[in-house]
Amino acid sequence: MQCLPISKAGRRYIYRLAPTMATYLAFFFIAQWTFHHLHPTGLVVYLLAILPALPLVGSLAVVGLYIAEESDEFERSIIVQSVLWGLGGALSVSTIWGSLEDFAKAPHLSTFYILLFFWIFMAISQPFIRRRYQ
Amino acid sequence: MKNRLRILRAERSWSQADLAQRLEVSRQSVNAIETGKFDPSLPLAFKLARLFNSPIETIFTDEE
Repeated sequence: MQCLPISKAGRRYIYRLAPTMATYLAFFFIAQWTFHHLHPTGLVVYLLAILPALPLVGSLAVVGLYIAEESDEFERSIIVQSVLWGLGGALSVSTIWGSLEDFAKAPHLSTFYILLFFWIFMAISQPFIRRRYQ
Repeated sequence: MKNRLRILRAERSWSQADLAQRLEVSRQSVNAIETGKFDPSLPLAFKLARLFNSPIETIFTDEE
């Protein structure tokens, strides 16, 4: 497999995404530990519940920054297309699953997973998008 | 969009990687432009024109 050189924007993307994901893991375990051991109430429950989601929202900003900073227009177009596939895939899955829940009594799927689907579809689409230009 | 990039590159004995380095883009970008599957923006087209010291219209043609 050919090794693709990474642009400056690509390196910044990795340097930003890695700590963002590490922060997510840290916040996730902090929230989980606090809920299990300290049993918070009131406003703290909401703040703690939001805590792990913040780095995940930040990961979207990291993608946005990469698109804004990537000077290679071809590479930028690949990422923009994969983001569109990610959005389309995530919205399609959530819409189909929502319909299944409403009419077929399918088990409930947390909306939390929509972001996961976004990343999965975005990642899967990239090699196929690249292949179109070869 | 058709172009003469492959010819211009061959005249200088540049590989796609050489041209990519000069343009500060990836080799995949050069390949996509060269095969006519990706149309470069005006700034990149001008950059190519300067690099090959040729007018844009002699590098790119709008025929399918």
